[in-house]
Amino acid sequence: MASIPPEAAAARCRIEIDKLRKGFLASGNEGDREVVAVDDASFRINDGEFVALLGPSGCGKSTILNMVATLIAPSGGAIKVDGAPVTFGKPERHVGYVFQKDTLFPWRTVEDNIGYALELAGVPSGERRGRVAEAIHQAGLDGFARFYPASLSGGMRQRVSLMRTLIANPEILLMDEPFGALDTHTKLDMHSVLLDLWERQRQTVLFVTHDLGEALTLADRIILLSARPGRVKQDFRVDFARPRDAVALRETRQYAELFSRIWHSLGEEFTKSRNA
Amino acid sequence: MRRIATLLWQVAIGLGALAIWEWGWALHDRLPWLVPDLLDPYFVSKPSAIFQQFLGMSCLVGRDGTWSFATDGAFAKCMGRSDNNLWIATWFTLKNTLWGFLTGVSSGFVLGLLLGRSDRLSEIFYPYITAFNSVPRIALAPIIILAFGIGDASKIVTAWLVVVFLVFFNTFEGARSVDRDHINAARLLGASEWQVTRTVIVPSTMAWLFASLSPAISFSLIGVIVGEFIGAEHGIGRMIIEAEARGEAAGMMVAVFVLMIAGVILSALVRRVQAYLLRWRPAQQLSA
Repeated sequence: MASIPPEAAAARCRIEIDKLRKGFLASGNEGDREVVAVDDASFRINDGEFVALLGPSGCGKSTILNMVATLIAPSGGAIKVDGAPVTFGKPERHVGYVFQKDTLFPWRTVEDNIGYALELAGVPSGERRGRVAEAIHQAGLDGFARFYPASLSGGMRQRVSLMRTLIANPEILLMDEPFGALDTHTKLDMHSVLLDLWERQRQTVLFVTHDLGEALTLADRIILLSARPGRVKQDFRVDFARPRDAVALRETRQYAELFSRIWHSLGEEFTKSRNA
Repeated sequence: MRRIATLLWQVAIGLGALAIWEWGWALHDRLPWLVPDLLDPYFVSKPSAIFQQFLGMSCLVGRDGTWSFATDGAFAKCMGRSDNNLWIATWFTLKNTLWGFLTGVSSGFVLGLLLGRSDRLSEIFYPYITAFNSVPRIALAPIIILAFGIGDASKIVTAWLVVVFLVFFNTFEGARSVDRDHINAARLLGASEWQVTRTVIVPSTMAWLFASLSPAISFSLIGVIVGEFIGAEHGIGRMIIEAEARGEAAGMMVAVFVLMIAGVILSALVRRVQAYLLRWRPAQQLSA
């Protein structure tokens, strides 16, 4: 399958972020003062694009994501999903979210966790069972349907998390460093799983990470944020052919070239955030 | 190996204690500096007498000293002699304990959930809850008997009162400490407020509720017994009071042993239920 350049596919804008700003009130000995986490961040994401939001820790990338997810209220600026402004505390139906932290419901088995969204939507149990079984199979979790999360490994839990979100067929997927807590090997494994799943649906993805290798492996575009306060520093296009092989890709020359280009820019921000 | 050794120790200690109880008092006259007069059989009876008393009170052995089941109708006749015989007393005490437990647990859970999830309500009711909680519940038992009579109702109310606060505070804490991220995850997966309550807040609070079940059943039994002490027609508590009035140490001890066995069985059952309901927890330490 040839790669489809996102701009060729009608380029419908799905997420639009305009001069977004977020300040937190931090209390200290010398009284309260505002810490600006995100300042004047603007970018757009088109339909079917896989965009990685990359930056040093503390640059506000998760804050941006959480504002899009309506978990945090912005202090200024605008967020539009499919042309309509989002409201704090009112998540959009067709937007899925994957947490970094394990947020599986520990009292539900793997199948009941994955089927949760369908249960909420009132999908009849017969249809639900079928879709859950398929999701379990897609994520390579066969045989674990009746297990509780506590008895699964970190990687498996994150697969369940992924399927719990994907089963509702969200058109837009927000992911907050979902593989941040996994070891290198498991992470690579999850990249393959995610790429494979994404190829089927080609959701619009906003993926927060501080791992450049991960961003290059997965994304069509990498938006590099500056150190705090987070602003869009640079916007890189990653036009490696799809479908990608998460492991083989890392050995190619184009990967190495783009890696070093972005690495240099990222390095400047790391230095800044260290001296800040 | 270790388990066998532990078991041997346990058996040895149990038998040792029984032996001292049975024969120790006889040594008191000869060695008063070694054996305290605490063991006077008049006050604490002794194991063999307690066992004899048990056989008689339970109607297993008739007054003539023969096994009741050897003679037709002897058991029924013995049972008919008292409307508070050991079996009936145990039945009443257990029944009321269970009712106190069920009503206490369910109402404590609902109250804890309501106040735990509503800052407004908990703010308003805070002084009242603190005030009521500061009253030793047992002090209310005589008032409850006065109000509800000497029947089952007063025992259930006493037990309820003891259980409800325990469960309430556990549930309250649980409801307050529901993981924010679980609630967010549910919302982002499309849950309405009511669905969040039903599928996240209730199940995660349940874990706290279950942790309080084991003490709750013991507390309930205490509540019932205290109620029976003060005024009752049936029950083990009344049986103890009656034996005391007659100066029958053995009779009191039989009642205490029955309560001990009932307590152990009830706790074990509750722990079973608890372990099953909390099976999703990693290596949950339920015993203790």
